[in-house]
Amino acid sequence: MFEGKKQSGSGSQSGLYRVQSQSVQGTVGLQAVPGRDSRREKSLLRPLLSRLLVFFLLAILLTGCGRRERKVDRATKDGILLLGNGAEPKALDPHLVSSVGDSNILRAMFEGLVTYHPSDDSKNEPGVAERWESNPDATEWTFYLRKDAKWSNGDPVTAHDFVYSFGRLLHPEMGGPYTSMLYILKNAAKYNKGEIKSMDQVGVRAEGDHLLHCTLENPAPFFPDVVKHTTFLPVHKATIEKYGSMTDHFTKWQVPGNSVSNGAFKLTKWRINGYVQVDKNPHYWDAENVKLNAIRFFPMDNAFTEERAFRNGLLHVTYVTPSSLIGRYRKMENTPLRAETYSGTYFYRFNTTRELSGNIHFRRALSAAIDRQRIVEFVTAGGQQPAYGFTPPSEGGYQPPDRVAFDPEAAREHLRKAGFESGADVPKFVLFINTSESHKDIAVAIQDMWKTHLGIDGIEIQNQEWKVYQKTIQDLNYDVARAGWIGDYVDPDTFLSLFTTNNTNNSTGWSNPDYDRKMVEASRLFKVEERYAKLQEAEDILLDELPITPLYWYTSVYLIDPGVKNWHPLLLNNHPYKHIELRAN
Amino acid sequence: MSQVLPRHSKTIEEGTSLGKDAWLRLKKNKLAMASLYFIILISLACLLFPLLPGFPDPNKTYLELKSQGPLTTAQTSSGEKVFYLLGSDHLGHDIYSRIIHGGRVSLTVGLIATAVSLTIGLIYGAVSGFIGGRTDAVMMRIVDILYALPFMIIVIILTTYFGNKLWLLFVCIGAVEWLTMARIVRSQVQSLTKQEFIEAARSLGLSKWRIIYRHLIPNTLGPVIVYTTLTVPAVMRLEAILSFLGLGVQPPNASWGSLIKEGADRMASDPYLLIFPAIVFGLTLFALNFLGDGLRDALDPKSSKD
Repeated sequence: MFEGKKQSGSGSQSGLYRVQSQSVQGTVGLQAVPGRDSRREKSLLRPLLSRLLVFFLLAILLTGCGRRERKVDRATKDGILLLGNGAEPKALDPHLVSSVGDSNILRAMFEGLVTYHPSDDSKNEPGVAERWESNPDATEWTFYLRKDAKWSNGDPVTAHDFVYSFGRLLHPEMGGPYTSMLYILKNAAKYNKGEIKSMDQVGVRAEGDHLLHCTLENPAPFFPDVVKHTTFLPVHKATIEKYGSMTDHFTKWQVPGNSVSNGAFKLTKWRINGYVQVDKNPHYWDAENVKLNAIRFFPMDNAFTEERAFRNGLLHVTYVTPSSLIGRYRKMENTPLRAETYSGTYFYRFNTTRELSGNIHFRRALSAAIDRQRIVEFVTAGGQQPAYGFTPPSEGGYQPPDRVAFDPEAAREHLRKAGFESGADVPKFVLFINTSESHKDIAVAIQDMWKTHLGIDGIEIQNQEWKVYQKTIQDLNYDVARAGWIGDYVDPDTFLSLFTTNNTNNSTGWSNPDYDRKMVEASRLFKVEERYAKLQEAEDILLDELPITPLYWYTSVYLIDPGVKNWHPLLLNNHPYKHIELRAN
Repeated sequence: MSQVLPRHSKTIEEGTSLGKDAWLRLKKNKLAMASLYFIILISLACLLFPLLPGFPDPNKTYLELKSQGPLTTAQTSSGEKVFYLLGSDHLGHDIYSRIIHGGRVSLTVGLIATAVSLTIGLIYGAVSGFIGGRTDAVMMRIVDILYALPFMIIVIILTTYFGNKLWLLFVCIGAVEWLTMARIVRSQVQSLTKQEFIEAARSLGLSKWRIIYRHLIPNTLGPVIVYTTLTVPAVMRLEAILSFLGLGVQPPNASWGSLIKEGADRMASDPYLLIFPAIVFGLTLFALNFLGDGLRDALDPKSSKD
């Protein structure tokens, strides 16, 4: 079944057609049977039966016609890339999103100063900036913008656009979910909190139209990696202010027809729960090297549905793969399955502002009662690594401290310290997940581990749709919640800065001055080894207090059509769509 | 009525109640009786089996024993032996135990939601039909309007608004399923109101509520019982659909609907995960429908007495 449908060669198709015509004859033969045995009661049924048969024949013939060309083959010819993309996008505004799926679409539509390299995440490709340089201690950065960069309406992209965009996200009234990415700029956090009234004091400044000057809070040799992120993408001032004020959320500027972007593609269709389509942007400076004509992003939050869609030729690349099917795909010849190291951590958040989950011993008990090895071996089953720390070990040579382990004895001891003689005394609490089969399976397995090892019985699992779930987490409206964090750039900083007090994605209510201080100290250290040592000290505090408990380190497991070229394994999985090509084999 | 009177005979025929008559007729209908026994059997199984000592815990996971086929005995990593009558799912849950426990949820939904819809529909229809006039027109237009709203969406809005509570789900389903019941009762009541015994009750000075409660509602019971048996499967199907959409029971608990959903996802690799719950659910729905059919025939006053 799998193989037959996967091959797109014309030989197998004509074979399919032959089989169908045989089955057509077969059904015609059947029709004669009730005729021969013409009892009186049956005679009433016969006209109905024959009509049904005609209907069936037509149906078989029609589907036969449809099967001759699969959607992906047609799309490959037309240069349209069909991608599974997780959930329905929350917004198509770079300043309002925080999920991987949403940023995939934005990465196609917008281009930042620096962009992603097609095959190596630690390398940087010039984007709007042709080149960039810094002072020796990496606190002052200058970006030289190309003169031919244009918006999709033909307006030139200037340094002022970037200043405007950074100012928009940092505006105290904006409240974007990912604002803290910009705190790397000098005084940005102060301006965002209203301690400074003017954007002029923030460390970003345009010198003329084509020179952008950034001053950083602390030295950051990895700054060009940071500016690849969606929060650093420029937005078009005239368009945003045509449909509302600068800080309005979800205005009409982000809908097809209104949206103006500067990337290789521009938004042309957005059908809710259908797909988002971006077409090649003719005004893009490098348009002649863009190989695709369009990309369609399909929201599919059920992995099984997505896998079926892929098998039936409706998608080029899937977003995930159901773990129960990984084994079958592994065994296939020329398998479309890819399992690649992915810089990400799957973890559970504890709400430290609530009485129960705010109890450090209770958190330690829950954490120690999770057998991570069994989860990656039997539940996720895609080659994931059980996490012993928070930062994945793939981050540029950084090694996280080895602190998190499965130890049911210690877990019970922690539970007693937390003030519960047995698990039965623990009050009821809710474990939140967002709708997805794999999150549900992991939650069910962990719930049972907590029951087995700690005797806690009153855990309710609740799933919420992605948008609702994000709000629940941000409003600290939970006890324990599932989470995942994918690195924004290749450096442990992208993981560890998450739990500093100011970070807008902290979402645990946890705040530790020691941790914050160590993070700041680390950013002032210039030698990699010293910096990493400092970061390890910080991570040690994090894993001791456990506002989160890491479960496993991701691998990205997906299915890909052989017609997709130039799609290389990437640590951050941020494929630059302008390099991708579609070619039928 | 007048045609019946000449049949007076000297030997007094022993009077049979409507209920007894109907029972006798139902007993002749083999399919309906078989369905009745099946429903009793499955209800008792779901109710009593989990109370037996040694009955497997439906939420116990044995991760290393995932996707075991039916009738297998497997050994856990700690050396414990586990017997799977109907196989295990992708987390090592016992499917047999989950079907039985899921039946508790599904059958309870059937009962409670039907009871809710019955109560609302009966009172609403009876009041509307008995009072008549403008009140009736307004009440029935309200029903028309509610009919026009897609009821799935109402249930989804109610469950998302009030949160995913199981009992709430029961009530929600009941609250959207009463419309047809109200119409049936209303039409029955309308025709009954014009009959002599109601006139008699009125002339004796009985209050409106007493007439509705003592005389009208008992007389509509025939069609109501029939429609109720048809509502039960409809409601169970609705719960299955909601569980299928992830709005019904919350994990790790199961209902027949959620089991079928999980089975359908893994149809290609472990078909028995779909087949067993689907068989049980399908048979129960069939049984309820056949029983409803049989009851309709049995309770129909127009069918001959002998």
